[in-house]
Amino acid sequence: MKTMKFIIHNSKFIIATAIVALCAACTPNAPTKLYISETEAETLIKEGKCLTIEQFKDTFMTKEGNYCMPELYRERSKAGDDYLFTIDTIPVSDTPIYIRGRVTTDDYAGNFYKTLCIQQMVNGKQQAIRLSVDAGSIGGLYQLGQEILIRVDGLAIGRYANQPQLCLPSYNNNIYANKAEQKVGWAAGRIPFAIFKARTQCIGTPDQSKLYYDTLQITDYNHITDLVEAREWDAKLVCIENVHFTGQYDNNGTPTNCTTGDPETDGNANVFAPTTENMNYPQSRVIMDAQDNWTLVSTSEYAKYAHFYLPANNYWGNVVGILGFYYDNGLNYNRYPPEASDWSISIRSVDDLRLYDGEEHWLYDENGNYKPGYEYSKN
Amino acid sequence: MRKTLIAVILTICTLVGANAQTRLVGRLVSVEQQAIEGATVTLVNQGVTTTTNEEGKFSLTYLEAIDEEVIVEAYGFMSDIILVQLIENQINDLGDVTLQTDLAAEMREEVVLNLSEMDLNDDEGKSQAMASASSASQDVFNATISYAWSNARYRGRGYEQIYEQNYIEGISFNSAERGQFNFSAMGGLNDATRYREVVEGMEASNFTFGSWGKSTNYLQSATNYAQGWKVGLAGTNRNYKGAARATYSSGLLENGWAFAAQLAWRYTPYIDVKGQIGEGISYSSVGYFFTAEKQWGKDKRLSLITFGAPTRRGQSSALTQETYDLTNQYNKTTWGHNNYNPYWGYQDGKVRNSRIVHTYDPTAIASFDWQIDEENFLKAGIGYHYSMYSNSALTFYNATDPRPDYYRNLPSFLWDGQIDKNGNFIDKTWNGSDWNGTALGNGSYIDNQYVGPSIDMSTYNTLVDLWTSRDDKATQIDWDALYAANTANNANNPEGSARYIVERRHNDIQEGMINLNYRNTSVDNLTITAGLEAKGSQGIHFKTVDDLLGGNQWIDVDPFAERDIKELATNIGLTQSDIANVKQNDLRNPNAAVTKNGRFGYDYRINMINTKIWAQNEWKWNAFDLYYGLQFTYSNIQRTTDMLNGRAWYLARLNPDYATYYLADNAAAVLAANGDYSTLPTRLAGYTHHFVDPAVKVGGTYKIDGRNQIKFNAMAETKAPLGRDAYISPRVHDRAVENIYRHDYAAYYAQQYGTSWLQEYFGASQKIAGGDLTYSFNYPIIRGRVTAFYTRFWNGTELNGYYDDEARTFVNQSLTGINRRHCGIEAAAAVKLGMYFTLTGVVSVGDYRYTSNALAITSAENGMALADESDRAADDLNQGPIFELRDSVLIKGLRVATGPQVNASLKLSFFHPKMWFADITVNYFDWSYLDYAPARRMQGLFTGVRADGSHVNGSYIDPEINAIAKDEAGNAMYDKYGVPVLNYPYSLHSMQESLVDGNVLNRFLVDVSVGKLIYLKNRQSISINLTVNNLLNNTHFKTGGYQQARLPRQTKQGMTNGKIVSVISPNAWKFPSKYYYAWGTNFYLNIQYKF
Repeated sequence: MKTMKFIIHNSKFIIATAIVALCAACTPNAPTKLYISETEAETLIKEGKCLTIEQFKDTFMTKEGNYCMPELYRERSKAGDDYLFTIDTIPVSDTPIYIRGRVTTDDYAGNFYKTLCIQQMVNGKQQAIRLSVDAGSIGGLYQLGQEILIRVDGLAIGRYANQPQLCLPSYNNNIYANKAEQKVGWAAGRIPFAIFKARTQCIGTPDQSKLYYDTLQITDYNHITDLVEAREWDAKLVCIENVHFTGQYDNNGTPTNCTTGDPETDGNANVFAPTTENMNYPQSRVIMDAQDNWTLVSTSEYAKYAHFYLPANNYWGNVVGILGFYYDNGLNYNRYPPEASDWSISIRSVDDLRLYDGEEHWLYDENGNYKPGYEYSKN
Repeated sequence: MRKTLIAVILTICTLVGANAQTRLVGRLVSVEQQAIEGATVTLVNQGVTTTTNEEGKFSLTYLEAIDEEVIVEAYGFMSDIILVQLIENQINDLGDVTLQTDLAAEMREEVVLNLSEMDLNDDEGKSQAMASASSASQDVFNATISYAWSNARYRGRGYEQIYEQNYIEGISFNSAERGQFNFSAMGGLNDATRYREVVEGMEASNFTFGSWGKSTNYLQSATNYAQGWKVGLAGTNRNYKGAARATYSSGLLENGWAFAAQLAWRYTPYIDVKGQIGEGISYSSVGYFFTAEKQWGKDKRLSLITFGAPTRRGQSSALTQETYDLTNQYNKTTWGHNNYNPYWGYQDGKVRNSRIVHTYDPTAIASFDWQIDEENFLKAGIGYHYSMYSNSALTFYNATDPRPDYYRNLPSFLWDGQIDKNGNFIDKTWNGSDWNGTALGNGSYIDNQYVGPSIDMSTYNTLVDLWTSRDDKATQIDWDALYAANTANNANNPEGSARYIVERRHNDIQEGMINLNYRNTSVDNLTITAGLEAKGSQGIHFKTVDDLLGGNQWIDVDPFAERDIKELATNIGLTQSDIANVKQNDLRNPNAAVTKNGRFGYDYRINMINTKIWAQNEWKWNAFDLYYGLQFTYSNIQRTTDMLNGRAWYLARLNPDYATYYLADNAAAVLAANGDYSTLPTRLAGYTHHFVDPAVKVGGTYKIDGRNQIKFNAMAETKAPLGRDAYISPRVHDRAVENIYRHDYAAYYAQQYGTSWLQEYFGASQKIAGGDLTYSFNYPIIRGRVTAFYTRFWNGTELNGYYDDEARTFVNQSLTGINRRHCGIEAAAAVKLGMYFTLTGVVSVGDYRYTSNALAITSAENGMALADESDRAADDLNQGPIFELRDSVLIKGLRVATGPQVNASLKLSFFHPKMWFADITVNYFDWSYLDYAPARRMQGLFTGVRADGSHVNGSYIDPEINAIAKDEAGNAMYDKYGVPVLNYPYSLHSMQESLVDGNVLNRFLVDVSVGKLIYLKNRQSISINLTVNNLLNNTHFKTGGYQQARLPRQTKQGMTNGKIVSVISPNAWKFPSKYYYAWGTNFYLNIQYKF
C-alpha cells in the first residue's frame, strides 16, 4: 500500500514535470509580420498592389535625402548641385508597400558582390533598381531570372556614388579606407540578410527567357549626366551592339593602351581587372563602336575572370551587362568630358561577351585561355 | 555502501585444513543467487584484501585468529560488513553472502552513460568535455563523484578520456585512432556494462598495465547474469524521452551452456517546442546484446559475445552568449533557458535537424578462461568491431551561409566597426563636428541616438525582434529556401553543382584485437601477471552526399581553392590549366558529379597497429604490499588515400624536394604522370611511421593497522601520437607533424641539430610521469581517504583547424611540445548518522595548467602561402613565400580545460531496510576554464615576430591600436609568464575565460533521487527510481565550450610598402566564445520488473 502511495505520489510529480516541460513555449512578442507566402505575393501582383520600380523611386527618392543633412553623409557627397550619396527612409506603413522584379544579376563569376539588380517590364519598357544586401553569394538564393517581391516600407532608398538602390542607413566607420576622412559617416548601406530575407518572397522558378535586354548604342546613354534622368537608366540589363574591345583602359577619361605586364603587379595589364593594390575598386576597360564612341566594361578584381586576357580588338559584336553610372568623385568635381562618360557595363560573366571576327567567336576555356574554333552556341 | 551493519556470529563450518593454516573462504552472490565476480573482500583489522573469482568465491589464507570485520564490496551492489570470529588453524567458511543490488547506483550509471554517449565524437569544432562515464569502485570518493560531478563534466584529475582504458572481457576497446572508448557502442544496453572490474589509475591490476585515469574491464560472460527475465521502462526529459529494455538469462544449464540477451530501445520524436530541452532533436536507438558461455568443468569456459546499438540522434550546438541571451527572451519558463538549437528548421512545416549522427558498432568477442591449475590462470580473447560513425552537416557552394547563428546574421555584427580602441561605441558625430544627434533633415533620425549599431536603430530592433521571437526563418534553418535555391539552380544550370546539400562525414573504424593474460601465484605472497595486447585498426574517413535537397548533383571541387586560385597561380610557375587542378579533390576523377550516397571531398584511411606486452609483480605481506610493472608498446601509423587531392599535388609540385611529404611513395609517379594516372594503384599508400614506447610503474601500501593505510603509486611512460593527431591535414595530404619526421630520421636530425638520438626518437611521443599518495581510513562510523597527486605531461600533440582572418583562408595547425602539470588533492569521508542516514563529503581541488609554451606549425588547407617572401626573417636562407608558419603558442600558465578544478559535494543518503532509498546531493564547482584557441595566443601576435623570425602582418604592437599595456614610465608590461599585458578590449581577444558564474550561488547544482525496491514472491521484484538533476534549475552553469580561433581584423585599403596591411580589430565581440550550459531541471524515471 505504501508502495502504491509512493508510486502515485511520484507519478504526479513526473506528470507535472512533463506537462510543464511540454508547455514550456510561451507566446512571444511577435514583431510585425514581414513574411508573405508565394500565393499572397501572386495575389498582390494580380491586384496591382505593387509600386512599379519607377513609381517607387519617384515617390521616395529626394534630391538631398531625408535621413540627415547631406553634409553628414560624407564630404564628397555633393557634386555641384547634385547629391551623390543620399538616404531616404521609407516609414513603416499600415498598408505594406511592395515592389517586384526579376533578378538580372548573377554573382557566381564574382563581378557582383552583395548586390542584386532586378528589372520590371512596365508598358513594354524596362525599369530597374539595385538591391544592396549584406550577404555574400546572395545570387544563390535569388538567382538569375527569379521573380521576387519585396516589402520596402521600413527600408530606405538611397544613392551610393549616385547609383540608386534599395538600402538602409548605415554608418561606415572604415577608418582604414583610402581617404577615410571622406568616407566615414552615414551612407546608403546594405540591408542585413535576415531583414532582407524576411521581406522578400520568390515567385515561381527562375526563367531567364523572360529577361529583357535594352539593345543600345553607346550614344544612347553616354551623354546623360542629369542624375534624375540617369537614375532611370542605372541598373538596366542592356546589350550594347556592335562594339569591340580596344585593349585600352580608362586613364582619367582618356583611353590608354594596356600593357603586357603581370596582372598581379601591373594595374594596367591587358586583362579585365588586374590588381588595384588592394584599393578594391572596379577596373575599367574600353569598348568602342564603329564611330569611335566608347564606353567602359567594369570588372571587380575579385571576379573569377579578372585575369583573363581581353578579347582581341578584331572581334566585334555585342556586350551584355548591367548599365551603371558610378560617380563618387564629388569632392574633386572633375566630371569626364561628354565623350568620355561615367557610364560602364558590368558583365555577369564572360558569357556576356558575344564577339566574332568573321570566322570564329571569341570564347574562353575554363582557365581563361582563348578557345579558338568554337561556334558560339549561346543565345 | 550498505547502510546497516550486520553483525553475524558465524556458525562456523569447521574443516580442519591439511596444512593447519587459518583461512577465510566464502562466496558472494546476488539476491538471485548469481555469483558476483571481481568483488573485493577486505579484512579490516588485518588489512588483507582479495577479489572474488568467476564463481564469486574468495579465499584468504595465513590469517591471524582474531575478531575480524569483513567488508564486502562489489560494483552495482550495496556493500556489506560482516563481523566474524576467526578460529585458528581452521577454514572459516562464510558460506554464501548475499549482496543487495544498489538500485541508486544502477540508475545513475544509466544517466552518466547517456551523457557520455552524447559527448562522444561530436566533431563539429570542439565537443563538450566528456563526462566521466561509468562510475568506479566502492571507494567513497569515486562512488560519489562519478555521478554527482558528471553534469559539470568533471574529469578525474583533469585527464582526458584517452588516459582511461576500457576493456571487454580483457580485450582493449580504446580506439587506436582516437584513443578513447565509444560508449555509444553499447548505448542503452545497461546490462552489457553492469558487471565490471575497475582499477583506479596506476594501481596494480589483473587485466591491464593501467593508465593515468581508471581502467575498466566489462565482464560480459553469460553466467554473470541472473537467471530469468528483467523488463524496464524509463522516461526522461533529456535527449531521449522514453526507453524500454528486456533482458533474459538462462542461467547455467546442465549441458554447461549459459545464455543471456538484452534488447534496448530508446526513442524521442523531433521536439517541436522552442525552448524545451532537446528542441529540434530526435533520437532513435535499438540495442542488442547477446552472450553465450560454455563451461567445461570448473576450469575452462568460453564466452561468445556480440552487441551493437544502431542509433540516430540529432545534435545541438555550442552558442555565443549573445545567442543565448536573445533566444532566452522567447521562453521564460523555468525550463526554457539555454536550450536554443540552431541546427534545426522547418521543412514543409515539420522539424528537421541538419546534424544527425548515425552510430553503429557491431562487435563480436570470443574469450576463453582457463584455470590451468590452482596457481596458473590464462585468459585469451579475440575481438572485432566495426565502428560506424557519421555526422551530417549542411554544405553549400556559391550560396549564402545557411546557418542561422552565423556571426553575420546576429545583431552584434552590426556593432562591427562601431567600437573604438577603448571598447566603447564610437560617437557618430561626423568628422568631429559638434553634432548633438538631435533630429535632422525631416526628422527621421532616431532620437539622440548617436552611438550604437552601424544601422538605424529601428532596423536593428527589428533584427533583435526576429531573434527574441524565435522567428522560424531567421533563427532556424530555412529548409524550404534551400530546396527552392536548388530547384532554381536546376532550372538555370541543370548540370551545375547544387547550391546546398546535406553531407555526411564518415569516421568509421574497424579493429581486430587479440589479448592474452596470464596469472601465476606459485610463489608465496606473489602474483605475477603478464599480458599481450595486439590490435590492428583502420580509420576510414570519407564524405558522402546525404541529401541533395532537390539539386541534380554536387560537383566535387574545393570552393576555397577555387576562390584563391589566382593567388595560387602566383606562387609557382604553373599554367592556368595546372592551376585548375588545385581545386580538384580527386585528380583522377575531376569535377565529379556526385549524387546521393556518392563519395566526395576526401576518402582516406589511417592504418594502425598497436601491440603491448606487459608484466606485473604484486607482493602482499602483512604490513606491506608492493607491486611493480613494465610495459613495452609498439605501434605504427600509415595513411592511405583513394583520392589524389589537387592540393597535395600542388604542394608536391611546389616543393619538389619534399614532394614525398605530401604524396609519399607515389610522388614521383604522380608528378611525372602529367594527367595520366592510370598506372597508379587505386589506393595510394603513405609512409609507415613506427614507434616504440616503454612504461614502468611501482606502488605499495603500508598498513598502519587494519583501519589505516598509506598507499603510493608512481608511473612513467612515453606515448606515441594517436592516429588522429599524426597528420597536419589528413584530408588533403600525407604530411605528418614535424616531430614524427624527426623521430623517423632521428640520427639525421640529431646530427643536424646537435641533439641526441634518444631526444629525437622520443620527440614524437608524449612523455608522462606522476604519482599519488593516499591515506585511507575505515572505521565503522566513518571511512574515507585523502589523496595527493602530481602528474607531468611533456610534449603533447594537438591538431586544430580554423578560418584565419589574416590569411583569409582555412588553416590547419599542429601543436607539439605541449607540457602541462596536473596536481591536486582529493578527499572523501562518509559518516554514518544513526541507522538510516549517511552523510558523505567529497572534495577535489586541482591545479591543471600548462607549464611551457608550445610550438605551432600552421599551413593553409588549400595550399596557399600564408606569408610573403618579404615577411621572412632577415637571416632566413630560404626564399619565396612561406607556406608553413612556425610560431610559439604562449600557453604557459593557462589552465587545462578539462572540467572544474574545484569540485565538492555533500550528500545525505537515506536507506531503509525495507529497501527505500533516497539522497540529496549539493555540489559546488569552481575553477572551470574555457579551452583556449592557440591562434589567439601566438607569440607573433604579441611581439610582431614569429618564432621562425618571420614578420606578422598586424599584431598587438601595432602603434595604431595601443593594445600593449604600459607602465607609467612607458615600458610594456608583462605578466609573470612573460606575455605582454594587453589593454581592454584587446585583452578580451587572448585571455582565458573562466566558465564559472560571478554569483557564487550559481556554482551550485543540487540533485535528488528516490527509489524503492519491492520483493515479490518467487524472487520477483519491482524497482522504481526517480532522479532529478539540477533541482533548483540553475540556468547559469556553463559546462564547457571553446574560444573561437578567428581573430577579428580590419584590412587597410591600399598597400603600404608593397604589402596589404592588416590591423587587429578592437571588436572583441565579433567572434566571441561559444558555450554549453548545463540542462535546467531534468529527471529520469526508471521502473523495472524482474521475474
